[in-house]
Amino acid sequence: MIPIENFLVLSSILFSIGIYGVLARRNAVLIIMSVELMLQAVSINFIAFAVYLYPEQFTGLIFAIFVITIAAAEVGLALGIILRIFRNKGTSNVDEVDMLKW
Amino acid sequence: MLSDWGHVGFLLLLALVFPVGGIASSWMLGLLKIRPQAPDPIKEDIFECGVETEGTAWVQFNFRYYYYALLFVIFDVEAVFLYPWAVSLDEASVTGFIAVVTFIVILTIGLAYAWRKKALEWL
Amino acid sequence: MDSVNRFGPELILLAMAAVIILADIGWALAGTGAERMRRPALGALALTGTAASIIWSALLIAFDEQGEAFSGMIRVDDFALFFNFLFAGTAAIVILASIDFLRRNRFVAEYYALILASTAGMMLLASTIDLIAIFVALELTGISLYILVAFMKDGRSSEAGLKYLLLGAISSAVALYGMAYLFGITGSTSLDEIGLVVSEANGETRSALVLAMVFLIAGFGFKMAIVPFQMWVPDVYEGAPTPVTAFLSVGSKAAGFAVVMRIFLTALGDGSISSDWATVFAILAAISMSLGNITALVQGNIKRMLGYSSIAQAGTFLIGLAVVAAADPQLLLGTSAVLFFLGTYAFTNLGAFIAVIAISSKIGSDQIADYAGVAKRSPLLALGLTICLLSLTGIPPTAGFIAKVYVFNAAVQADLVWLAIVGVLNSVVAAYYYLRVVLNMYTAEPASEESIQPGYYLGLAMVVAVVGLLVIGIFPSPLLEASEAAARVFG
Repeated sequence: MIPIENFLVLSSILFSIGIYGVLARRNAVLIIMSVELMLQAVSINFIAFAVYLYPEQFTGLIFAIFVITIAAAEVGLALGIILRIFRNKGTSNVDEVDMLKW
Repeated sequence: MLSDWGHVGFLLLLALVFPVGGIASSWMLGLLKIRPQAPDPIKEDIFECGVETEGTAWVQFNFRYYYYALLFVIFDVEAVFLYPWAVSLDEASVTGFIAVVTFIVILTIGLAYAWRKKALEWL
Repeated sequence: MDSVNRFGPELILLAMAAVIILADIGWALAGTGAERMRRPALGALALTGTAASIIWSALLIAFDEQGEAFSGMIRVDDFALFFNFLFAGTAAIVILASIDFLRRNRFVAEYYALILASTAGMMLLASTIDLIAIFVALELTGISLYILVAFMKDGRSSEAGLKYLLLGAISSAVALYGMAYLFGITGSTSLDEIGLVVSEANGETRSALVLAMVFLIAGFGFKMAIVPFQMWVPDVYEGAPTPVTAFLSVGSKAAGFAVVMRIFLTALGDGSISSDWATVFAILAAISMSLGNITALVQGNIKRMLGYSSIAQAGTFLIGLAVVAAADPQLLLGTSAVLFFLGTYAFTNLGAFIAVIAISSKIGSDQIADYAGVAKRSPLLALGLTICLLSLTGIPPTAGFIAKVYVFNAAVQADLVWLAIVGVLNSVVAAYYYLRVVLNMYTAEPASEESIQPGYYLGLAMVVAVVGLLVIGIFPSPLLEASEAAARVFG
């Protein structure tokens, strides 16, 4: 059996890559992809905890399902708003979207 | 522990040997003049069969694909919730059934809305 | 059926949102003849929804129908009911204030449905006691609000929507990571059970708990709009349609505080860990108040100014949370101070934003400089805005004064005198920029003599907000008792 630490390390690496992407990327679509990485890191955590530490209950697995669903909803909306910005301005770079000061 | 990773390592090895071996042996046979070399434009194409490619892949897609993708995701995700319910139908009983019906009714309202907003039509 | 009954206030809002969407489809099918009635009818439906929700909550109290619902997912207690009234009332006032603004917009039904859905999410945030439901409610509130912020088709609104959405998504991912660890440490998503395990935690699990706590504070700090998670506030407040800004500044913030109180007081309320987060909240409170007020001083746009002021106000609420587990803990006093402050803040900020809607839509500008001489053009609006700004400053006889005294008193009782001093100093700084607007309205020469006449519904919303805050200022005891009753839930 692979020890649980490996999964936790994997998830924290994924989460850190996500945070790095959020901070370093300029394109809004790539930022959304980085956020997805962070959310999937959370899912890995939940499933690892549920399978290894609390195999008698399903709460963790159900939580992971909810994370996936809501992440999908969020991405759908994000793409819609990015599309609108693209039509308005012809770019989806967050630092060229600067009518309001950051 | 080792045996767990052993399977993965074996797969990894196979995944390396096949492509690297294929390309290397083709190259070696070419050097030894055993492999015939008769290039023509169709052979050099990215895909050896099917429709000939035209232009680059970096083109703008029609905006309407987005609606389709979105609707697909919604109904895809719906299945995520229906599946656990379906396998535990016995335990979920009437309460579970009512809950799922409510869920589907809400989704249907969304679908009706999408239909009204002409998101289902390809102009 | 008990479950459905207790879930009623939220359920009726969601059902009404669905009815509004379906009614809109029906209208489109009915043809152009009925078009004239569409907007008023949809507005009436939305208002009926909020009113029904308030009445249902009142009936739950009257028939003493409190308790848990949906096998321990939701707990309808005094705390949840307090927020039911707060959110449904806020939504009703915001809907009233939106009617005029929606005259030129096609998507009326979507707007009302989203406001109702978001309100239901906020109510759920206050009443749920399970991490899964907290996450779903958080996103129900959030996603509806992202769309509302990006509601106008212009670039500014879309840009505000994009910023709000990106930062919101990041913050909920961070909060989720904290929840994942909380689940991993305790093996449960129920706040009560988490609280039980936490109270038995030893040294090793304690450090993991601190990690989870930090992630949770970072994630929910965004909702509460406290420093250092406040970057989005001024931009989103400026770019969003003003009624949505009002809803955001009151509803979203109150929902953030509601869920933080639920999680931190129930799940992480044990003495060994609560002293940690109390210290963090005390420091964040001081920074939020100072930074919010100082940046507000230099703002030229009134929506941005109110944005920074709301960051400073959030800092003041945090004092109440810091008091809960300070050196000399005052659980009841601290919690009820936050609740009382949230109640008065709702009236005050709604009133201020409604006045901004009325004035700005007429003069076509959000700049404070353009508010010159508004008192001559519309004495009543200027008076209303002045009362709200006085309440934000904390000058008697407005509600804001009592709220501030209550919070600072709680801080002194809990041996956090330094925090109370920082708070009082900040109130002095805040007075400068609030009163600058008032002075500008009353003493400067108006650009034109044309009078400003707010629409009927907008005027009604304004009257409700201003009368509410004056009534609380003069007779604070009903709201005080309600917030104490709600605070006793955690006792």
